[in-house]
Amino acid sequence: MIADPLLTHAAADYLFREAELLDGRRWEEWDALFAEDGMYWVPLRHDQQDPFNHASLFYEDAILRDVRRRRLEEKHAWSQQPVTRTAHIVGNVRIVAQDGAGLRVRSAFQITEWRQGRDQRQLAGHYTHDLVGAGPDDWRIALKRVDLINCDGIQDPYEVFL
Amino acid sequence: MTDDMLAALVRPDKVHKRVYTDPAIFDLEMERIFGQAWIYVGHASQVPKPGDYWTALIGREPVVMVRDRDGAIRVLYNRCPHKGAKLVADGCGHAGPLFRCPYHAWTFTLDGRLRGVPFRQGYADTGFSLDDPEFSMRPVARVAERRGFVFCSLAEDGPGLEDYLGGALASIDNFADRAPEGEVEVAGGVMRVMQQSNWKIFFENLNDTGHPQATHESSFAAARRTVREKLGGKTPFQLHIIEGNGEPNSFWESLELRCYDHGHSYMDAIFNAPTDAISLEYRDQLVAAHGAERAQAILSMNRHNTIIYPSCSPHTGFQQLRVIRPVSIDRTLVEIFTFRLKGTSDAFFQRTISYTNIVNSPSSTVMVDDVEVYRRCQEGMASDGGDWISQHRMAGHDTPFEGGVLGAGISEVPMRNQFRAWSAYMGPANIGKAAA
Ligand code: FES
Ligand SMILES: [Fe+2]
Repeated sequence: MIADPLLTHAAADYLFREAELLDGRRWEEWDALFAEDGMYWVPLRHDQQDPFNHASLFYEDAILRDVRRRRLEEKHAWSQQPVTRTAHIVGNVRIVAQDGAGLRVRSAFQITEWRQGRDQRQLAGHYTHDLVGAGPDDWRIALKRVDLINCDGIQDPYEVFL
Repeated sequence: MTDDMLAALVRPDKVHKRVYTDPAIFDLEMERIFGQAWIYVGHASQVPKPGDYWTALIGREPVVMVRDRDGAIRVLYNRCPHKGAKLVADGCGHAGPLFRCPYHAWTFTLDGRLRGVPFRQGYADTGFSLDDPEFSMRPVARVAERRGFVFCSLAEDGPGLEDYLGGALASIDNFADRAPEGEVEVAGGVMRVMQQSNWKIFFENLNDTGHPQATHESSFAAARRTVREKLGGKTPFQLHIIEGNGEPNSFWESLELRCYDHGHSYMDAIFNAPTDAISLEYRDQLVAAHGAERAQAILSMNRHNTIIYPSCSPHTGFQQLRVIRPVSIDRTLVEIFTFRLKGTSDAFFQRTISYTNIVNSPSSTVMVDDVEVYRRCQEGMASDGGDWISQHRMAGHDTPFEGGVLGAGISEVPMRNQFRAWSAYMGPANIGKAAA
């Protein structure tokens, strides 16, 4: 489908803003982008059908996101000494579905991630955002699915939201 | 390194840092420990049909576990006897009726015997023979299975699997007994996490009751703040399993640490059986299958991590199995499997999935701090700041029993017990005993 270019532009802007909040470690503002029952999901395998009958790298509701963001700020979060720094690049933004309730946006991402004293690492994959709400000012994330290209590979720990 | 030098690295209450930092010692461990002990390979449910295979690393040896035509499970070195190519790709798959090498198409029956080679005429009068085992895939020396859990030993002799496991055998039995149908199956995928530390550091942490309060403070403190500020004081299941590490000293001191010969041990469970609807339904299923008394006995064997030295650790309460594959002196791969108890509901299995997502995933807010401190140990040990690693906590207070030693709550007896096994394997009696 070819979406309204202005809407595509607004969706891209929304994703760029989200990336900015993540890079800025502004977890609370980031979390506020989610709908009340919004979910954050990073599958463990390609084409994973559901997060219930198969393990995932992340599957977090508002409560678990709240614990993660609070832990990142804890004084004795040993693995955040020093903190993780990231730079997100989001591209290829496309609206792939749209109906009265909202829209589905697909994009590709690259994240450069670094902690002092550790190797810098590159992460890449695809985002699928299910956005609900009447218009760009009102959009909330019902589901953010992050498909890492190496989701089923050997992993180093993940600390921050991707 | 002479045997006297090796022996001097382990004292009753401390060990020399070289056991974690010297690559020559890692080489010896691969030969004398991983070349002899019973090492976990995989679970029978991963190869349900003839021709299904699963690959694993036994020390440094890549092996393939395969279901043979007669239903038996074979464990073969994943190596073609022609030019040495690995016959199957890492992971799982289906070989069909025969293994077929990707390089020159030699074929092998599922027990590894050479079945055919192309260009047969070229082998006339060369000393090559289809029947010569030199041209077949080599089977590992010994394979044994317990309730579907498959172990192998690369050494011809040594104790049998059951004698080797001693009191840890009950953890495997209990794992399967917890299923109403008495059987478990691997389900839900496998996670793989690389740790920048020696494999022994991971094992020592599993029954280290002294670390949770310190290491996991960030996650249980965050969980408590969420409970207080967002949930009106109610702790849901997901936060309960994070919060467990924040119990007070008196709790950790009250736990039993039971150690067995050959390095195995377990600690008492740190979670009581939940009493929500899903858990109660499960309990009813178990009672229906086994009767009330037997069901109670099964559930009351509530062990937290069991250490099956030196290759895996089952967590029976949440149906997890962590498999430890040493890669080098300072790198360790941990594979995390979840199991379904046959005869239980999807909702019950989803609890298992939830536990692995929250506690064992590479994104776990609990485990990241473990992995961080392991790495700091590895980096600190390499320094000139000192030579010895202390294992003094409650040293000299261990109570021996037939087949093992018992320690209380915060004792470092599981570590001392592991080094007792380590010394026995690495000692002079074992030199040259590993399979060639
Ligand atoms: S290497 Fe296997 S057939 Fe040649
Ligand atoms: Fe821990």
